[in-house]
Amino acid sequence: MIPQFRQYLSRRHFLRGASVALALPWLPSIRPAASSAAESTGKPPVRMAFLYFPNGAWMDAWVPKTSGRDYELPFSLTPLESVKSDVLVLSGLDKKHSRRGDGHYAKTANFLTGMPVTKTTGKDVSSGGISVDQLAAQHMGHLTPLPSLELATEPVITGIDSNVGFTRLYGSHISWQSAGRPLAREINPRIVYDRLFGQKGVAEPHKSTEFRHLLDFVLEDARMLRQKLSRDDQFKMDEYLDSVRAVEKRIAFYARAEARQWNPDIPEEAVARDYPGAPADFREHIGILFDLIVLAFRTDSTRIVTMMLANDVSGRNFSFLEGVSGGHHQLSHHENRPENIDQYQRITRWHVEQYARLLENLRGIPEGEGTLLDNCMILCGSSISDGNRHDPDNLPILLGGRGGSTIDSGRHVAFEGEQPLCNLYLSMLDRMGVPVDSFGDSTSKLSAIDLA
Amino acid sequence: MQIPGFHVHWAIALIGCLVVPSVTFAAEPEAWAQQYLEQVMPVVRQKCVKCHGKEEPDGGIDLASPETTDQVIAQHELWSLVGKRIRLNEMPPQGSPQLSDPEKAAFMRWIDSSPKQNLCNQLASDETQSWYRGYVMSRRLTQTEYNNMLRDLFGVDLQVGRDLPADGAGGEGFDTAGDTLFTSPIHLEKYLLAADRAIETVLPDSTESLSEELQRARERLLAPLSGTTGTPRESARKVLDAFVNRAYRRPVASEEIERLLQLFDTTFAHTGNMLAGIRQTLKAVLVSPHFLFIGELEHEGGVQRLTPQEFATRLALLVWSSLPDEELRTLADAGTLFETETIRQQIRRMLADPKARALGENFAMQWLGLNRLGSSVRPDSAAYPEFNDELAYSMREEVIRTTYEVFRENRSLLEFVDASDVVIDEPLARLYGLNPPPRDWQRVPSGDSGRGGLVTTAAMLASTSYPVRTSPVLRGSWVLENILGERVPPPPPNVPSLEETAKENQALTFRERLEQHRRDPQCGSCHNRIDPLGFSLEQYDVLGRFRERDASGQPIDASGELPSGQKFIGASGLKQVLLARKRDVMKHLAKKMLGYALGRELNKFDACVIDETLKELEGREYRSHVLIEQIALSYPFQHRYFKKAD
Repeated sequence: MIPQFRQYLSRRHFLRGASVALALPWLPSIRPAASSAAESTGKPPVRMAFLYFPNGAWMDAWVPKTSGRDYELPFSLTPLESVKSDVLVLSGLDKKHSRRGDGHYAKTANFLTGMPVTKTTGKDVSSGGISVDQLAAQHMGHLTPLPSLELATEPVITGIDSNVGFTRLYGSHISWQSAGRPLAREINPRIVYDRLFGQKGVAEPHKSTEFRHLLDFVLEDARMLRQKLSRDDQFKMDEYLDSVRAVEKRIAFYARAEARQWNPDIPEEAVARDYPGAPADFREHIGILFDLIVLAFRTDSTRIVTMMLANDVSGRNFSFLEGVSGGHHQLSHHENRPENIDQYQRITRWHVEQYARLLENLRGIPEGEGTLLDNCMILCGSSISDGNRHDPDNLPILLGGRGGSTIDSGRHVAFEGEQPLCNLYLSMLDRMGVPVDSFGDSTSKLSAIDLA
Repeated sequence: MQIPGFHVHWAIALIGCLVVPSVTFAAEPEAWAQQYLEQVMPVVRQKCVKCHGKEEPDGGIDLASPETTDQVIAQHELWSLVGKRIRLNEMPPQGSPQLSDPEKAAFMRWIDSSPKQNLCNQLASDETQSWYRGYVMSRRLTQTEYNNMLRDLFGVDLQVGRDLPADGAGGEGFDTAGDTLFTSPIHLEKYLLAADRAIETVLPDSTESLSEELQRARERLLAPLSGTTGTPRESARKVLDAFVNRAYRRPVASEEIERLLQLFDTTFAHTGNMLAGIRQTLKAVLVSPHFLFIGELEHEGGVQRLTPQEFATRLALLVWSSLPDEELRTLADAGTLFETETIRQQIRRMLADPKARALGENFAMQWLGLNRLGSSVRPDSAAYPEFNDELAYSMREEVIRTTYEVFRENRSLLEFVDASDVVIDEPLARLYGLNPPPRDWQRVPSGDSGRGGLVTTAAMLASTSYPVRTSPVLRGSWVLENILGERVPPPPPNVPSLEETAKENQALTFRERLEQHRRDPQCGSCHNRIDPLGFSLEQYDVLGRFRERDASGQPIDASGELPSGQKFIGASGLKQVLLARKRDVMKHLAKKMLGYALGRELNKFDACVIDETLKELEGREYRSHVLIEQIALSYPFQHRYFKKAD
């Protein structure tokens, strides 16, 4: 019999397991020897996540009328009421390198790079540069079992858009290891769970020695094969080589005695094994992946997460929402018709609602002097503003959490004139302890978010 | 752009003209371009560049830039596109100043007299292109290929690669494009786990719990051991000798086997279990880049013919999305695989094999973009409760089987446009109002149902609908793009919306609103091409069921008129329109198949293959085997350019 291994945790069972994990405190004493300056002071590490939703937002229902602390939540942001004091609404942030090109692909692939996307159906794919999450992972990935976690709810969009001359994979990738190398995303919660806790998968204790031997062997194969390839083909082999090394490091991390003394130890019966595949309902799917983000941050399994709530140009059907009848992309092309705009902003509000719930969950977990949310920066946003116009300026951006109690939350900050989104990324990198002076098209840090 | 070495190739082309007189008059390139500057450019300046200027030209078509003879010559492909659009009366759009008859005639005469280049035996390379980055050909397996290869290696579908991340696509729109196949750490993790799972499943210590199927797979793997004795190491070597050249798709050197045996030694020393040692080596083979990558090795740099084994792999990937079988390997090793008659014979044999289903499942579904039906593309469940996963499967399966059978049975490729029968199961028969076939997935006559061909499949009609309503625009665009091979630019920003142009009369039907919208030349230039095609399919609802009234109860008007003045009604009318343009349909299909086969975007050097293929198809009743044969015999399929490593 072929065993079933496309299972995932049922939400209920999963949460039972998670609650076991969440009951365990974050322990500064079990950090790896090589730890950052922040850790040597005994302060919890700062984590960051980038949550992308497609098709922009109706900005009249997103941007608060007034700035500062006592602003009124507009329609699409009303779910933030309970977490208002822990969120910054940032309006007026721009991505100037997306002003040309098509309406989606040239906007989304560089959501986290800020640099120009190359127009191509495949040859010389480029997002303009490394993405902000991966730059951080390069600096601190060695401190956690997983350098970073890339999540999604749908498979990569296949095909090319020959009308605009872009490969559609641009609409499915925000995380880029380098300008020309997008990172694959995981969509199956079961596998995410296994990867996070190393009890299953490649770091399974009784398999890991065997796997290391195999990796050593194929690494040598790849080195020898590489020499026989022509120039451009060698770049493909480099991806393989780098991936082998990354998995080797991961296995080695678990093999270190001091690395992870704490083990979530989830009882076998808490893990349901009779649900094939990923959840069919994307609402449940997003909920479970959000729970896993909380768990990953809580257990310091990774400090960097990116997640696409859907691929760009997603036509996902939102008719389950009251007052909505149709698909997301279709309704984002509202043609300025009031009945379409009304449905469009309801879909956006649904996304904000999921985000608010994630923030609540992070805030419910005590850590250090405060809560887990205090040590997080959870960005939620889209790569265009009005979906009808595909505008890459004045982007809808929210920032939840206080980045290690350094962010003055609970305000609407409205930026005037040209203010690159990358300035925000630079400020986030700074809080992660990544020593860079600039990122993407940044001009300076975004000091307006700082705690005075 | 000036192409160095250009004149040399023209000299070759001219010699070709002397030997084989060309039917159309082929002008000297310089004189031809000069003629443009003197006679055609003034018309272009007057009637075209207002929209197609240098700054953000409509549809990306810039007609203002060719200003010198060199620039005119370099824009070969642009002129053939422009010629097509003018001939079909699609440009200039209605409402804009039109070309006078003499102007139009002069323009077409000039385009038709374009000098023909003979590029049949060339590839894009540093020598033929001024700056050539090269396309990646050595690439990892796609998820589909990986699963098929494991299936064919073990003779049982272990389904261990289903959790691999989905692949994007590039080139002509297929996941076979090396440029867009990336390898991430999670790929490696999954390759490791899948190899582990596969080998542990097929080759456990105890055979007790093995199914019959797995028992056979195990026996095949261990067959080299039967009736022989020897040390455990010698036994392992025998198993590897039989397995590795299949997995690596080439004869394997003894040093390679020796390296694997060192891995065997380590495990054997540790466990004392021969089988454990063999398992470890087989896992290594499945994670090795020699298996996971289609490696085409450079020998001297420059353009080279593939090795027979590399060619065998390309054939197997093209027809089966899998690895070469024993017969292909034997022919490759014997050095006879490149013989023309052998290739034809093998193609026929391969297409008759059930593995050729990949041409439907992998090629056709990507070509037609119907893979997402049932997952991210889904009718609304409240409005269309009849739609469920089973029906989605049936819809996709119809397209897979319909296309696969055309290839398997050497049917006419024109059946993709129109056919007198359909391949359906019971749920589809109900949906189509046909008598169900005696057994699922049998061929039944379509009668007067209007079905037959791809444009009236439920998969197409459902995939091009929004969750709660049909979309003539999406359907028309689908036909234009996927069947006729035309481009449909996205609406320009700031285009007045449907609503704004139709504000005066809210009582209009959607069709009437769209017709108003089209009167604006900015909209009309595309919608005049799109909408008539889409409206002809309005008699099918979101699920692809026949209907006489739309959702609001209004009778359906399925008539359409193309910019050329051609009028037609309904799906059968649409199919006649498409058949009248069968040359465009076949050309697009040939380009798609070649792009799929080569795993890259086509360039001007591939045009010759397309032209030759079209000629052969026209002469041989559009038989499907001709298409695959022509590609397999073509120069770019048998050769590649290797850019020297730094």
